[in-house]
Order: sequence, then structure tokens, then C-alpha cells
Amino acid sequence: MSVSAESLTLRKLPREGKEESQFQIVLRRFLRHRLAVASVAVIVVLFVAALLAPLVAPFPRDAVDIAVATRPGPPGTMSSQGEMHPLGVDHLGRDLFTRLLYGARVSLSIAFIVVVISELFGVVLGAVAGFMGGWFDTVISRLVEFLLSIPTLPILLITASILIKTEAQLPLPAVATDFVSWMLAAPIQEANKVVVLMAILILLGWTGAARLMRGMALTLRNQDFVEALRAVGASNTRIIFRHIIPNGLAPILVNASLGLAGIVIAEATLSFLGVGVQEPTPSWGNMLSTAQSYMFQHPWLPLIPGIPLCLVTIAFNFIGDGLRDALDPRLKR
Amino acid sequence: MTAYLIRRLVQMLIVVFGVSIFMFFLFNIAPGGPLTGLQQQQRRISPEELARIRAQYELDLYWPIRYTRWLVGWPQGPLVIDGQEWFANVPVGCYMEATPEQGGGCFDYVYLSEMPKIHPPIKSSRGILFGDFGQSTVVQAGRPVWDLLTSRLWATVELQVISLVLSLAIAVPLGIYSAVHQYSKFDYVFTTTAFIGSSMPTFFFALLFILGFTILGGRLQELWPWWPTLPPGLREAVRPYDVAAWLSRVEPGSALDRFLHLLMPAGVLTIVSVASWSRFLRSSMLEVLRQDYVRTARAKGLIERVVINKHALRNALIPFITIIVLQIPLFFAGAIVTETVFAWPGMGRLYFDALSRSDYNVALAFIYVTTILTVAATLLGDILYSVVDPRIRYS
Repeated sequence: MSVSAESLTLRKLPREGKEESQFQIVLRRFLRHRLAVASVAVIVVLFVAALLAPLVAPFPRDAVDIAVATRPGPPGTMSSQGEMHPLGVDHLGRDLFTRLLYGARVSLSIAFIVVVISELFGVVLGAVAGFMGGWFDTVISRLVEFLLSIPTLPILLITASILIKTEAQLPLPAVATDFVSWMLAAPIQEANKVVVLMAILILLGWTGAARLMRGMALTLRNQDFVEALRAVGASNTRIIFRHIIPNGLAPILVNASLGLAGIVIAEATLSFLGVGVQEPTPSWGNMLSTAQSYMFQHPWLPLIPGIPLCLVTIAFNFIGDGLRDALDPRLKR
Repeated sequence: MTAYLIRRLVQMLIVVFGVSIFMFFLFNIAPGGPLTGLQQQQRRISPEELARIRAQYELDLYWPIRYTRWLVGWPQGPLVIDGQEWFANVPVGCYMEATPEQGGGCFDYVYLSEMPKIHPPIKSSRGILFGDFGQSTVVQAGRPVWDLLTSRLWATVELQVISLVLSLAIAVPLGIYSAVHQYSKFDYVFTTTAFIGSSMPTFFFALLFILGFTILGGRLQELWPWWPTLPPGLREAVRPYDVAAWLSRVEPGSALDRFLHLLMPAGVLTIVSVASWSRFLRSSMLEVLRQDYVRTARAKGLIERVVINKHALRNALIPFITIIVLQIPLFFAGAIVTETVFAWPGMGRLYFDALSRSDYNVALAFIYVTTILTVAATLLGDILYSVVDPRIRYS
């Protein structure tokens, strides 16, 4: 629809200087939420650090320093070659700063991949179900209801512990394992387990987006512009993908941002309980789990992975909050 | 309403069956299962012995057969009609798998006629639908699962009830005060704190508690003997211990001992629920305070306290029903993460133990009961909601 807004306006709208685009309005409102802006900065810094982990990290990921005096060693421990471990070493003598960086890479990759795929999945299924109705809608709605009515944490735990704690490598498409192995900067065998974990989180995580999008599609499909689209002969596919989905995207963005926090927490919890990311792949969750066994003698240990973990979850939540305020059409300012 | 109830009950049944079938399907995918540990311990185990142990865990049977035996205790053997055995030659499992040299596949099938011999009725469950949850295989081998579950139930109920009462007592006044004084300094501090609190992972809270009250507390006690420390885990101590210089030695099992052990896990659960519930109550209260009937009440000249407590609060609490009702399954399931971190001997920790040691009978019974309670609680919440709020009608 490229009819210009100008020709359709009957009454000349009063104009004040340059008109802001929708994006500029949202951006201006988002920038007013100071905590959200600070959160974006935190995430960007961590993201860059995670991305550059192989370059920035002072040691190889699994390098064991047997020469250090105490294991775990406090921040500032010197290695046998006279290099400093900025955050100390863990119980095996591995550099904690290095593992923290790679752990950020693992935790953030899992969160982003899981959220992107599950939101995509949810958005498409929800839009098609809401727009088309019929048996497809019934199936999707029942499936969503089913997934929402089961006790999530126990089922997540049992599924992860069965599928991830086996020694066997599950047969998975090489594309997925290769990609994840590249994302994590980790060998394929380790990526295999992470892909399984991501698949489990995606299977339980797409329902929120599907429900939101279905609701949006249900209201949008009865509006005049859809009628107009039909009249000019647009196909259903075109209406759904070019008009319904872009129109309902705002709440999805908020949902995705909050989802990122949720997935980071879910992954950390599973890894903390020993059924998520498995050693030697570092993740903040499994670093906390080893820290717990040594925290009585070395109380700083849980803080090293714990503080960034909290920062990330709080930041994602603040970004979601800021987006919600910025995208809410009822708050016109 | 009746039609609605029937439809929901049917949906509940489907959910419960769906979940239990899915679990059995998962066990089937998982290679090894309870035997993984065994194979690691004894690499050179003979195939006959392996088959015998597999049969002990019913792993020789195909998973749909295992499922129906778990669910309704059937089939126990061939169908006997007029003294004649039916379906006796139907293979229901594989007693011994063939090695790759023998060409793979199955070496020795289990036929239905062999079932009473390999899996005698005394040893097998009568079916979970008839209240027989089978026996624990690892955690407390040989003990009936139901017995094991109930022995852990009280620790969980104690923790959940106390933290529920505490959370409500704190969250409700906080939420109301914050909503009534919207945009005040208190409101700003409260919303930010609660927001941060509800976005932190529970287990890190628990670790911080142990760090602060046990470890840091212990170090401070070395400097100042009056500084108290808290025991980091379990429900009661094993041997007498000191808390602070001004308190006499605490005996294990005494009321004080139990109280001290309860403080940290209950504290963590309370903080987590207060952070989310008070925010929820605040927004629900703000919604109500904008309503016309609140303005009417004020216009009538009612004093503010009555407007808040009688007119606004009661309506603001309606959405809270859902939250409270959804706590019901937790009285059974407990808080898995918190109980695990604090080594609290409740249901959540039992479930986690059962999972990490592959005691699938215990884990399945837990999932089964928790799923039933969860779907039932959701239904109960919806019904209560329509009872309390006449604007909501189901059809």
C-alpha cells in the first residue's frame, strides 16, 4: 500500500517543524528510561567481551596452571610464567577471567539463539493460527494450553537430565552443531549437548510469543485494511507476513527482551543443578555450581560468575521495561 | 458452566496422560538410564548378568508395554479365557540384545507367556491409577515410592506454609502502600528494588544468603563473639553448635535448632515471592483506584482508609486468587532449587536426587502428582475467579 498519507487526509494536520518517524518517537521515549539505556550499555559491553573472548582472554579456555600456590586462588594470583590471573583460578587451576569470558559467550549465545528461534516460531505459528482460524488454530491453541498447563521446572529438569546427562551424542543435524560450536568457540562434542539444551528451551519457550501474536492476528484480521488488501487481491501469505506480523511486532519485542532474561536464568539454573551446560564448557551457571562447593574456604568464588549473571538478567528486564514504555501507544508523549 | 467444567476436566485428563506418555518416551530415548552408572562401575559385566539387571528395572520390555504396566498394572501375562492362553506368543520386549557381531537386533525376545516368570506380579506395580507407585530403585532401594514421598512431604509443607504466610503478610501491605503513594520517593525505591529482586535468579539469592549469614557471619564472629551465624543447610543439625556468644549451645532437634535452619530457606522463598507479588498487587491496586466506583466512594465523603481497605483492596485482591491457588502444587512439589541449595530434605530435593541418580519410579511419581495438582489448581483458580468476580462467566 503506497498511497501517500497526504492525499487521504481531509483536514490539514497542524505541523510543527519536521515530523518524527515512528522509529524516532520510540527511540526518544526509550532514551528517557535511563536504567534501560544503562542496561543496553551493559549488554553491549558484555556482548563485545563475549564476542572477542578468544582474543581478549589471557589464557586458553581449559589451560590448567598447576604451578599456582593455591587452587582455587584469589584474584591477582600470579602464574608460573609470571602472568597475572586477574580474577584468580578455579579448583583445577584454570583462569577464572578467561572462563568468565567464554561463559558469557555460552550464556549469551544460548539466550539469543533460543529467544530468536522461539519468537520466530511463535510469531509465525500464532499469526497463521489467528489469521486462518479453523483446525490449525484449534491444534495450535490446544498445544499452547497444554504447554502452559504443565509444571515447567520439573519437566525441564527431567528432560534435561535424561537427554543431556547421557554419555551418548544424540544424532543432530551437522548444521546446528557446527553453527553452535562456532558461536561458543567450543568443540563439536560440547556443542552437541548445548544444542540439545537449546532445543529443550525452545520447545517450552515459544508459547508466549504464539499467544501474543495469535491475539494480535485475531483483532487485526477484522480490520478494514485487511479487507482492503483482500480487495486488491493480496494473498493470505502476503497479508500475514507483510501486514499482520509487522503490525503485531511491538509486544513481541517486549516479550523477547524479557524472554532473554528468562532464558539466561533458566540456563543458569539448569547448569547450576548440573543438567545444563556440562563441564568443561564454561557457563556462569556451572561455574556457580563448582563455586558452591568451595565457597566456605573461598567466599569470593560465587561472586565472580554471580555478579555478571545478575547484571545480565536485570539489564534484559530493564530493557524490556523500557521497550514496553516506549512502544505503548497509550502513552502518547 | 457444567459443559465448561466437563470440557476442562477432559482437557486435564489429556494433559496428564500426555505428560506421562512423553516421560516414558523420553526414558526410552535415553540410552542406559538407570544402568549408566552400573556400566561405568563394572565394565566387564557378562551379557547374562546385564540382561538380568535390565529385567530388574523392566528395561527389557518395550516402552508402551512398560507404560501400561506402570499406569494400570497390565499386562501381567497372557490373557486367559476358559483356561486357554491368548496372545502368548506376542513379543513384548527384548530380554537380551544381540551384539553387533551377531548382526544386531534382538537375540532373545520376551514373550507375553514369559512375563509372569520374568516379572512376577508380586514384584510389579498394580498401576499408578490404582495408587501403587511402585518401589524406589536407587534413592532408598526397595522402599515403596509413596512411602518415600510422604516421608519427605512434611519438610516441604512446613517450608512452603511459612514462606507463603510471611510473603503475604509482607507483600500485601507493601503493594498497597506503594500504589496509594504512587510516584512518591518510597514508591520509586520500592518498585526499583522489587524489580531487581524479581529479576535475579533464585539460586544466586540462596548462595548470597549462605555467603552473608554463614560464611561472612562466621568470619565476623571471630572478631566480635556476639555476631550471630546461621547454619547453612539441612533441617536439623547433627551435633550441638554455637550461634552467638550470647546464646547457649543449640541442641540438635530442639525447637530453636529447627527455627534457625528454617530461617534462610524460608527467607529466600519469601523475598522472591514478595518481590513479584507486591509488584503485581501494586499494579492491580492502581488499576482499581482508577475505577469509577472508587471515585464515587470518595465523592460520598468516605474517609480515605475506608475507600482503600473496603472498596479498592477487595477488588484489587481478585486477580491474586490465581497466584495463591497456583501455590497449591508447591505444597507437594516444593521449591526444587531452594531445597537443593540448602539441602532441605523435602520433596523438591528428593525429586532432584531421584533425577540425578536415575531413580525413575520416584521421579515419575513426582511428575505425575505434580502435573495433576498443577492442572487441578489452574482449574480451581478459574472457577474461584468466576465465583468471586461476577463479571466473569464461562460458557
